[in-house]
Amino acid sequence: MKRLWTLMSMLVLASLVLSACVAPATAPAAAPAGEEAAAPSGEVKDFITWYQYDEKNEDPASDERVGNQYLRDTIPLFNEAFAGKWNWVNQPKAWDRMNAELVAAVQAGGDVPDLFDMGSSGLSLLYQNGALQDLSEWAKAQSWYADMDPNALKACTGPDGGLYCIPIAERPHLVYVWKDRFPEGFPTTPDGYLAAGERLKGEGLYAMTFFGSTDFDGSGATRAVFMTFASFGGGYDDGQGNMLLNTPENVAAVEFLRSMVQNGYVPEIAFAGGFQEENAFKDASAGSFPTGLFGYRYVNPLTAPNGTQYSKGNEEDMLDAIAAGDVILAPFPAVEGQKPGCNNEVTGFGIPVGAKNPEAAQDYINWIMSPEQNPDWVLRPGAGFPALMSTRGLEQFQTPFYQQAGEVVAASACRPWHGSLERRPEAQRLIMGAVYKLIKEDPTADIATVLQATQDEYNAGN
Amino acid sequence: MQQTQIRKKRRGPFHTMLPFWLILPTVLVLLAIQVYPAFYTIWLSLHERQPQGWEYVGFNNFVRLFGMGVFGESVGHTIVFLVGYTSLTLVLGFIIALLLNRKLKLSGLYVTLLFIPWIIADIIVGIVFRLLVVPDYGLLSGILQNPAIFPPNGISVLTATRPPSWFGGFPFPPALAMIYLIMASAWRALPFITLLLLAAMQTVSNEVIESSRMDGANGWQVVRHMMIPLMLPTLVVALFSLTLGGMNGVGMVFSLTGGGPGSATEVLSYLLYVLGWSQLNFGRAAALAMLIAVVNWILILGTLRVTRVEERTN
Repeated sequence: MKRLWTLMSMLVLASLVLSACVAPATAPAAAPAGEEAAAPSGEVKDFITWYQYDEKNEDPASDERVGNQYLRDTIPLFNEAFAGKWNWVNQPKAWDRMNAELVAAVQAGGDVPDLFDMGSSGLSLLYQNGALQDLSEWAKAQSWYADMDPNALKACTGPDGGLYCIPIAERPHLVYVWKDRFPEGFPTTPDGYLAAGERLKGEGLYAMTFFGSTDFDGSGATRAVFMTFASFGGGYDDGQGNMLLNTPENVAAVEFLRSMVQNGYVPEIAFAGGFQEENAFKDASAGSFPTGLFGYRYVNPLTAPNGTQYSKGNEEDMLDAIAAGDVILAPFPAVEGQKPGCNNEVTGFGIPVGAKNPEAAQDYINWIMSPEQNPDWVLRPGAGFPALMSTRGLEQFQTPFYQQAGEVVAASACRPWHGSLERRPEAQRLIMGAVYKLIKEDPTADIATVLQATQDEYNAGN
Repeated sequence: MQQTQIRKKRRGPFHTMLPFWLILPTVLVLLAIQVYPAFYTIWLSLHERQPQGWEYVGFNNFVRLFGMGVFGESVGHTIVFLVGYTSLTLVLGFIIALLLNRKLKLSGLYVTLLFIPWIIADIIVGIVFRLLVVPDYGLLSGILQNPAIFPPNGISVLTATRPPSWFGGFPFPPALAMIYLIMASAWRALPFITLLLLAAMQTVSNEVIESSRMDGANGWQVVRHMMIPLMLPTLVVALFSLTLGGMNGVGMVFSLTGGGPGSATEVLSYLLYVLGWSQLNFGRAAALAMLIAVVNWILILGTLRVTRVEERTN
């Protein structure tokens, strides 16, 4: 009897513990705007954000110093503007862990922020895991919606047609070029790029450095590799959600990259990962660097081919080099009849499922969309072009950097790299693995065969 | 007699159940942090996340996992890594333990110095080893990439391509990055293994060693036929400990090679990290975790069996 009682007690306790620990089978329902009980007059509620920036980090050498300073400057402004209603509390997160932390928090029913600083590259992960609220209805009712760049809105649109982030800045990809390394101008065709590579090799230099490793889960597939594919008229999908790699255009693009690498026109460090490829551009040993527009934040200090040092050690180095004419911005070389291709990402805000104060996030987004705040956000944490068309004409965006970048983007056909692919992290990892194998690891492998095998592996999961 | 019965009655069920209440907190903690996650992992491995919630998919996660090209490669890399890592660490650990066992001057200092790698986090060790060999800019790159020293083109540890495989798809001989990863991992594990073996070595009776020398055994023969058999249970425990650590460790791969170049150092634990925390594909990650857990269970059972044999022998 005693044993039975003990056993029963243990079972009851075990079931209590397990039921207490069990995760919700479905994600907590989104709290609709306005459902929140109206705050009693005078009660100030915390407005929680997750940014990759940390207002408490005052290290001038921090990679994220611009965003950190931005938060230091604007948190008091927001709190002043919404005095008596919201108190902005930022919880800094590591940029490469934010998505995972948010998904874990949402699925575990834990504390989530009211507003999540995010890029379109993470949208599919967050959508698939049910971490974001659909903001379509609310956004369409706002005055700024009609002023948004449709391409930016498209980048924030989920597979079901819902709007899962509000874009604030667009970050197209382009090529940073040391002007003196290309005295006859930066090549506009792949053949010209190869010829320049041969010439520079003779001088002990390289034509191009790029994110050539499989690091960061194949992030390289969204950068120079996509620019190459797109500039050859190719891409990664068939428009119906299937991966499509084995096309003549993509095969030609891989052949070009393979020639660049195997002929020694690309430094070895391009394949080391950890953003080490930037070093070859910093010391001008590589003449060009296809990457995101926002790359200027991180590529410093710089030494120009003529010996000029740009050594503040912050984002101003690249801007100074561009203003001085040592660095120019250019579109990626494209085959005849094709516009240079590039990836276009957006950065902005999402409102997580389970946010306690979604109306605080809505107030914040409307505040950021105001003419007083919008350019500042785009210029500092955004590091790109404004998603609001009216902001683009402002004086702040008429600098040499923005003028050149604007011309490059106008001359290019930029689009989100993933097209209709839904499992984007899996796709980029597979694509970069295949490209790395073809251009670096096994330069004799049949390109079409490897590309076909890669798309088959992805499409098997559709 | 009567008094004893009265005392028992006074004690009541609380006193008779006292042992149960005493172990209850431990049981509850174990249920919460070990049993529940284990069952939840099994549950996850049979489900896939959809925007609307979790969907039961049966064994589809396992099927998809086996269908991933990189899964087979990772199994091969894991075997190569474990064999290289355990062999190198055990051999070096044994040699260093032998040297320290000779009662050298300042042997206490040597042991203290030896312990430095063990107190450094593996992720830091990975970063330091990486900075040494970053192509063109690393501390040792001037030597490694010098064609005069390493003809014909020098070597780049982190980006050198894999040599052609000798056994079909099995990744042997390994890439330079894998060899370097093994070396870095062994460097960090060496102190613990050395001390473990040193402790075991010091339990070997001097009389046994002396008598074998008197019988004409040379140094190698003493080690081969006396010390190794006497230390065998400890060696086996060290082997299992290294294998378990190597099987589950991800920090070193993460910070040293990131699984590259290509997928040349992508071991199963790193693949698990990628599936779970980069791709947030918890279902497939749980399926892989189940497979790794099975291997771990086998290793743990092996260790327990060996330690029981050791106890019985003693």
